[in-house]
Amino acid sequence: MSKLATLAEAVASIPSGAHVALSGFAITRCNMAFAREVIRQGIRHLTVSQCVGAMDADLLVGAGAVDRMIYGGGSLDRFGRLNNVNRGIESGTLIAEEYSSLSVAFRYLAGALGLPFIPIRSLRGSDVLARLQQIAPENVAMVQDPFTGEEWLVLRPLVPDVAVVQVQVADEEGNAWIYGPRWDNEEQVKASQRVIVITEQLVPTEIIRRDPERTVIPGFKVSHVVHLPFSAHPTSVYRVYDYDAEHIREYAAATRTVEGFQAYLEKYVLGVQDHWEYLERIGGMKHLTPLLADPILGY
Amino acid sequence: MYAEDYTFFELMAVAGARELKDGEIVAVGIGLPVVASFLAKRTHAPHLTILFELGIVDPEPIHTGVGLADPRVWYRAKVMSSFVDMLGMVLHRGLVDVGFLGGLETDAYGNLNTTLLGDPKGKFTHFVGSGGANDIASSAKRVVIIIRHEARKLKEAVSFVTSPGYLRGNGARQAAGLPGGPVRVITDKAIFGFDPQSKRLRLESIHPRVTLEDVLSSMGFQPLVPDQVPVTEPPTVEQIRLIREEIDPERIYAG
Repeated sequence: MSKLATLAEAVASIPSGAHVALSGFAITRCNMAFAREVIRQGIRHLTVSQCVGAMDADLLVGAGAVDRMIYGGGSLDRFGRLNNVNRGIESGTLIAEEYSSLSVAFRYLAGALGLPFIPIRSLRGSDVLARLQQIAPENVAMVQDPFTGEEWLVLRPLVPDVAVVQVQVADEEGNAWIYGPRWDNEEQVKASQRVIVITEQLVPTEIIRRDPERTVIPGFKVSHVVHLPFSAHPTSVYRVYDYDAEHIREYAAATRTVEGFQAYLEKYVLGVQDHWEYLERIGGMKHLTPLLADPILGY
Repeated sequence: MYAEDYTFFELMAVAGARELKDGEIVAVGIGLPVVASFLAKRTHAPHLTILFELGIVDPEPIHTGVGLADPRVWYRAKVMSSFVDMLGMVLHRGLVDVGFLGGLETDAYGNLNTTLLGDPKGKFTHFVGSGGANDIASSAKRVVIIIRHEARKLKEAVSFVTSPGYLRGNGARQAAGLPGGPVRVITDKAIFGFDPQSKRLRLESIHPRVTLEDVLSSMGFQPLVPDQVPVTEPPTVEQIRLIREEIDPERIYAG
């Protein structure tokens, strides 16, 4: 069954207030076109989760679309910090449930396995845990190991309403391959109620059937498949295109102030009708072609 | 043969490399720990296994990346997997021998802050947070901290414990259910260890051309200082050549 949809249709399936797991990691495989469309459609009050805070979440937070963020810390790597997320935390407009990378991954894993809770060694003794006990006491607890009697920290599972995952290859049913490391994406997908796949390349199911061991996202979990080249721009997609350093620098500089970010938002998000107009705004194929990945290097 | 011409960054990378033994598994972030790990692997520790938290094992990059998210640092990896695979099934399982960590601040008990500066209840600035740092600090057998030697970065107590060291010392870390702990703090002026009992920071060696006065006057607290403090072993000519010509030829990590 074909689940092909336009980006606008897929985004419209997400109600305000939903919990959305995002596939980005810092500046790679971020759901950038998705985030821009969420902002244009005016969807708000989202809970966003990911193991490492990334550019997709920062854009959404800056635009006021996010009430709560569940993440393990994050940055734009050497390009800078997540200025919008940090500003939200500092001013109190964003509720940040801040963990470590593995704690968020374990919460997804528990969700994926249908477990009631998951023990973890991380966080204990830290102020990260002390803060969570204030901000999200419903998600952390201590229990006694019934076998050894030792005390363990346990975390509540995460079951997002929808995982949105940027992939390299998918078919129209949503069976999808991720090239390169997958960080938390597989657990996000398997923990979530449903999945929106955004793919750089659309292939016939016959191609998937020839290499099924590569399938990370099974089609039966997927509600929408959006075929949209350069949909992670300006972040990278391994083996497809490199990050756009010039654009990320512009973003990092713009987000230092609220006014700077508003101007960025106007220029690249609200001031364009859709992804295709965005690609023209940044300079079209002339600008994008040098970013295409070298087939041996993958970047 | 020891090198005459080297930077403090290179000395720190060499000191980091010397913490790694052949056959060990090391979890690293980006920057100086990458240089230290690749240097160890090309010299005394050819069977070292290098992990990146997001799911990378033993890459052989030929270009310098901007961070772990940069495919440049994944080049020629032996494994490309996930957080649950690396931080879970290797680190949480107890198989990581050494974790390298840095931060905004560390303190007299090797606790690290990468989250915020200021008063968490009042005005503060939020930085990066944990990433995999708390996980590494909690589960690695040994942690090596690499940090610049400045009073604002070496404090009696960090303002926020992102990644636990020995907490407030003595048995506090063990009582929190945590194994391992930091074994070394490497700065651009000195190398520190921890007192076996109190777990307080203890001076181990002072870098060449640095005085004890330099070390103590640029710290926010008084570490334990033994009667005799040796000079840090300088880098060798070959170690410096490897860093400059093969590991970081573009001098990106070296800043």
